[in-house]
Amino acid sequence: MIRAKIHLLVCGVALLLTTAVLAQSGSLYSYQDLSHFYYSKQRDSLKKAWTCPTSFKDKAAQKKYREIWDQRIDGIIGAINGDDYVHDNEVYTYIDGIVRQITEANRQLVPVKPFVFIDRSSWVNAYAVGGNLLAVNLGLITFSTTREELALAIAHEMSHNILHHVENAMYQKAEWLSSDDYKQSLNAVLDSKYERLSRLKKVLEGYTFSRNRHQRYHESEADSLAIILLKRSNIAFQAGYFLHLDSADLEYEHPLKHSLSAFFTAYHLPYEEGWTQKRSHGLSTRAYSFSDTSKLADSLKTHPDCVDRYAKTRSLTTPNAHLTPIPASIQDRANKMLLWNMYSGVSLTPCLYRILLIKDKGNTDLWYDFMLSNIFAGLYYSDRVLNRFNAIGVVPKEVISRDYYALQTLLEQIPRDNLKQACQTLQNGGFWKNMPSVEKDLKSFVFTLALDPDDSDRNKARAAHLFSTGNANSMYNELAQNFEKK
Amino acid sequence: MKPSTTTYLRGSVRPLKDYFLRTKPLFRLLCLLLLTSTAAQAQTKLFKAVAEDMAQDFQLILQDGNLVGYLVFTQLERASADSFNYRIEIMDENLNDIGTVKFRDQKLNLKAVSFDQDILCLAYVKSNFVGREYKSEKEFRRSRGECKATLFNQFLGLNGRILGGTTTALDITPDFTSSPASMWKVLGDFHFKHGIQLRNISGKGFACFYGDDYKNNLLIFNTAGKLTWKRQINDNAEGFTMLTSGTEISLLVKMREAMKEGGYQVLSFNAIDSTAYPKFLLKDKKGNSLKVLAFENDPVSGKPYLAGLVIDPLRGNHFGYGRAISHGPYSGVFSISLNGHTRKDIQASFSYWNDGSLPFIDKYGYLPQSHVYANIERAFKDYQGNTIFAACGLTSKVRWGAITGAVLTVWTIYGAPAFLAGGTNKYATRDVLLFKQDAAGKLDLATTVRAPRSSYSFATYPVTSYDPNNYYTVKNSDTHTQYLIIDKAKDIDIYNVNQKKVARTIPHKEGNNLLTVFPAKEGYVMVYEFNKKEKTTRLSIEAL
Repeated sequence: MIRAKIHLLVCGVALLLTTAVLAQSGSLYSYQDLSHFYYSKQRDSLKKAWTCPTSFKDKAAQKKYREIWDQRIDGIIGAINGDDYVHDNEVYTYIDGIVRQITEANRQLVPVKPFVFIDRSSWVNAYAVGGNLLAVNLGLITFSTTREELALAIAHEMSHNILHHVENAMYQKAEWLSSDDYKQSLNAVLDSKYERLSRLKKVLEGYTFSRNRHQRYHESEADSLAIILLKRSNIAFQAGYFLHLDSADLEYEHPLKHSLSAFFTAYHLPYEEGWTQKRSHGLSTRAYSFSDTSKLADSLKTHPDCVDRYAKTRSLTTPNAHLTPIPASIQDRANKMLLWNMYSGVSLTPCLYRILLIKDKGNTDLWYDFMLSNIFAGLYYSDRVLNRFNAIGVVPKEVISRDYYALQTLLEQIPRDNLKQACQTLQNGGFWKNMPSVEKDLKSFVFTLALDPDDSDRNKARAAHLFSTGNANSMYNELAQNFEKK
Repeated sequence: MKPSTTTYLRGSVRPLKDYFLRTKPLFRLLCLLLLTSTAAQAQTKLFKAVAEDMAQDFQLILQDGNLVGYLVFTQLERASADSFNYRIEIMDENLNDIGTVKFRDQKLNLKAVSFDQDILCLAYVKSNFVGREYKSEKEFRRSRGECKATLFNQFLGLNGRILGGTTTALDITPDFTSSPASMWKVLGDFHFKHGIQLRNISGKGFACFYGDDYKNNLLIFNTAGKLTWKRQINDNAEGFTMLTSGTEISLLVKMREAMKEGGYQVLSFNAIDSTAYPKFLLKDKKGNSLKVLAFENDPVSGKPYLAGLVIDPLRGNHFGYGRAISHGPYSGVFSISLNGHTRKDIQASFSYWNDGSLPFIDKYGYLPQSHVYANIERAFKDYQGNTIFAACGLTSKVRWGAITGAVLTVWTIYGAPAFLAGGTNKYATRDVLLFKQDAAGKLDLATTVRAPRSSYSFATYPVTSYDPNNYYTVKNSDTHTQYLIIDKAKDIDIYNVNQKKVARTIPHKEGNNLLTVFPAKEGYVMVYEFNKKEKTTRLSIEAL
């Protein structure tokens, strides 16, 4: 009976695949849209534009302040150089539209429209770095359901900038590090014979506690101002978004609707139930119960709890609000950019699990099949270069769903020959017929990396060069560049 | 890396994100120090002072000989005149953190870790002088009388609770080593006659063996941390190797005897009632001594077995250097399964080549087809009941130059002896040879694994000084596969014993990357990669 059901399911999935709508999303961003390229001018002018103001009379304090100021600039420059940001026109225009709407409605508070970065991180977050600059993570865009939810996050970060929270924090840090109190407390540690590390930690924690207490207050301030900014911009505010935010980290705790075997069978990939069951006799399989140290102590939290934020702002919820869903094309592009970023960062299990979650919802876009093929090829390549463990990113069972754990275990335990077979099966998949030429070119390049008997660096560099010559503007060029540089 | 001054929409970083961006606990200490240094940039003196009190040790957690996890023991700081604060971080077999335990105690040096019944047993040397800095040797000698050391067995539950600890007095002579920090200062130290060995007794507890200046002690603990019995092993032996199999504890004792590489015997005890079984002396039927290369548990039966070489009674005391190997110090190989303690429970297989009965090897251990002598270095049992012997092939060449030199200078007093001091032949290692002795005792050359010839060395030099090969085994009990890792000069061969082929070859050097492979959890190896150019390291646990 169960077999029959699985068979039916497999047939269903297979049918869906064959009749898939070839919803190619058009090309995503180009290689030149990556931040090291796109924001090169801004990067080069950042140091000139952001000169450290003279805020302290004391020379040492001013020096410290400049150090912290420069660290911030170096951080942003590092992020730009590291391609942490991307300028996808469609997604950028959408986010920028929200920023523009809030700016125009709040000219007194925001005289100049903030400069916005789209951060490629999957972390559900946005951040302000001061200097009228803010960034929105792709993870936040894919997580948010409505324009209003995104607008709340953006308005919150704009509020941090308006209230100079970042600059103030830098000032306070410099003040503290150059204060006599701080020096005395360090000297007291040095003078003590015993428990020096604990005393030093106490000094640092004392500051962290004080800073975080202020930051928690700042967050509430930013929440309140964000609501004002939104109301003036005629953007509805829903306190419930704070509750939604609380579930942001549960992405990998979501179970799959369809079984792993159904997914694997649908793609004709080798699958054995035994591969999903941990064969190890190690401590990961034991019932350990150490107290959870992953949770932050209340005093160390930088943000109020989402439930508290909800409770504080509930009364300000816009009644009968008309909410605008984020356009499917934006979500789709953000999702794809995020997946590609995870793939190029060799986070293969989370990348694959996200694809399975998307497939679970009935998505038939062939791009995800293409990525599935890339992931298996990437895993086999990682195995070849003795890096399968890191490519999988084995995580403890406590922080992921049972399905994720099974998938992770399968990827860890699938024999090399079967992995190669899976890789070959996907390389020969029917979906390739309808893929654009750039994806097909990438297939050839990935084949060289994973399956070509010639495992030499020279061969990989040659294939990378071939790909990038024909596809200089493709976003996939990012992968090829890693090999061409060698 | 994002700018440090950003404010985030949400503050709580969830664990999964951490795992994807994780820092291996191995480097936590470093991170801690970096954190400290960032906060106190100007205070290098303070940074140094804090770091001086810190120390870290990394240990494998083993159960039944298999790796089940990792443990990092950190001495955090001096807590009082005679105590320190410590932290133990426990990681699973995938290097994921599972918990941390903090405690305060006297100066501790972690020596061994074992695991059974969800209890960790740690063996430390607790002392008031080991690692302590003395102003001078004189000061150390003055305070020698106050030096004390004990063996401290600590028991931890997987809930982070310290279940207990047992202290056993040690009779040791305090010693010192020179301090790396100063010419005059010295550090307190001591040496065990026989180092601490700790093993789990499946389902029952732990066995701990050590030898101090006056006695060799075998201590048996239950999983609650209580000493259930102890026994002094009075043999004045050269060495001990402890093995636990089910509820039995065996000690392989190396005694001093006429045949320098021989003199082995096995002592066995019942862990439950401390019964001592009859001593088992290792000799063949002709009374030849045996050299033990393996004393392990059989992968199928779980009972102890021994494997090694039969020592030739005439040539056996010349061993270890090229010329000695070519003279045939061994007569054959053996494997003995200790399935019980009666005569019928002991299954011994001896295969001799000194009678010239084997077609592939002559009576001196020379393989005519391969043109090498077999220098057998490692033995182990596979899942099919065979015993595998790994050897490096030893090839020789006449030193014509030295002989000519000796002839030309024969009229001088010292010329000829100087030319011939290194022997008339020179030796080098070549391919790795794997011999298989089946359950019936039939010996065969199973395979030859290609290896480049080492540089030639004098006949009187130890083979170990120019043999680049190291061997260890990795097993997978689920697939019943046994692997032999042959760590050679330029690459590492992973030999699949079942399939009789090299499954994988890993180069030690690839571009700027230097690779080393260590045993990890069952069926896996840990790959350590160091990038010389970028000064970065990478750890990965890879399936075989």
